[in-house]
Amino acid sequence: MTLNLPTLWHDALEKVKTWARVNSPWLIHYNSGSCNGCDIEILATLTPRYDAERFGVKLQGSPRHADVLICTGPVTLQSKERLRRIYEQMPEPKFVVAVGSCAISGGVFDGCYNVVGHIDELLPVDMYIPGCPPRPEAILDGLVKLLRSLQDGQIERLETRPLAT
Amino acid sequence: MTQLIHLLFFPGGLFLLALGMGYEWLDRKLLARLQNRQGPRWFQPLADTVKLLSKEEIIPQGANPWLFIFLPVVALAGTLTAALYVPLFGLPPAHSLPGDLILTIYLLSLLTLGTGLAGANTPNRFSLVGATRTLTQLFAYEAPFLMALLGPAIVAGSWQISIINDFAGRNWLIVTQFVGFLVAVIGLMGKLELPPFDAPEAETEIVSGALTEYSGRGYALFRLAKNVELVVGLTLVASFYLGGLANPLAFILKTGALLLIIVGVQTLLTRLRLDQTVGLWWRYGALLVLAQWLMIVLAKII
Ligand code: SF4
Repeated sequence: MTLNLPTLWHDALEKVKTWARVNSPWLIHYNSGSCNGCDIEILATLTPRYDAERFGVKLQGSPRHADVLICTGPVTLQSKERLRRIYEQMPEPKFVVAVGSCAISGGVFDGCYNVVGHIDELLPVDMYIPGCPPRPEAILDGLVKLLRSLQDGQIERLETRPLAT
Repeated sequence: MTQLIHLLFFPGGLFLLALGMGYEWLDRKLLARLQNRQGPRWFQPLADTVKLLSKEEIIPQGANPWLFIFLPVVALAGTLTAALYVPLFGLPPAHSLPGDLILTIYLLSLLTLGTGLAGANTPNRFSLVGATRTLTQLFAYEAPFLMALLGPAIVAGSWQISIINDFAGRNWLIVTQFVGFLVAVIGLMGKLELPPFDAPEAETEIVSGALTEYSGRGYALFRLAKNVELVVGLTLVASFYLGGLANPLAFILKTGALLLIIVGVQTLLTRLRLDQTVGLWWRYGALLVLAQWLMIVLAKII
């Protein structure tokens, strides 16, 4: 459903929407074949010590409630379909964050017979967080940078981007 | 005209939604402080709501689309209507009729019923389990909660909330009916599915319970309904047991104190299994309130 509003109102509405999106990113976390090192760091990021709720970050269980898919690991052939299904179940607008060297390039699993390689080959990734595993500070920093680029309008709306097959 | 203002701005509609979000923030902030962290910023609930409203809404295959769309609306409408009958913000209720206590409690149950039906409407197995748990819990706490609120009604000799509020202003019923107060507070927590009674939306087992399939608008409306229910429930319990609500200052202080108790319990206890919840209510809660009832009735007769 699209509304045809005068440009002034439309712009104002877009501003409000962007503000809300930037201030309330809800995560869903999926392990697509990582060695679990990265996942532990992600969980550490959400503990009271780092307190991600300061930025409005909340971990959600259901893909339907999440805005940011945060995934780790070199996408094993088994988890490939599931990763894509989770992504497709999320409502627009949605963003993908790849955490760890494996998610970026395959890392130590590069060239294995049972992996796709990296998340990039499957989903459009918006933010890469390198490290093996990245520290919680790095993950938080990556998230904040994602939000900032969203605010500046550097990230294009995802509906226009194609999904790799 | 005044009717319209009552409905749209004060105490219904906008004011109530803002108050609901304020209390959600207070709840989350206090919880965060008790867990030794900074907690969300003051506009967090507003940002969450606007974001959810502007998200895509996915209607899952196999669900009845009309039910899927209208259940959140019914839930929110029920809780918003309930607010018209309670002394919100310490002012006299906007509407008052004999027996409105029962009406308010029924309206407050609409949210739980709506959640349960919404879960049963979607073909997702997590939603179904969540719906079963929601409705089971409804049967567990509803009767003791109702009985706990009827204690003050019996003493005041009326089923009208404003009269009970006046009566409670003269006598602090928490002193004479302590058991009723406890059961009412815990019943309120059960109603709102706050920890330790959050088995219906246990995210470690069943994703997020009955609302798993809701995205965007529907989820935002359910969240708002829950916030409003928090405010209305706090107002009810505070006005019945904590010496009535006669002015805005009393409202803020008393509901704030009550919220602090609730948050403390949330931090201290872990999630109960569903059978433990039901057992707690029927084995202890209901019996204790019943015993207190008998004593009240006996005291009245003598
Ligand atoms: S980047 Fe390192 S820690 Fe993370 S999944 Fe790969 S090997 Fe494990």
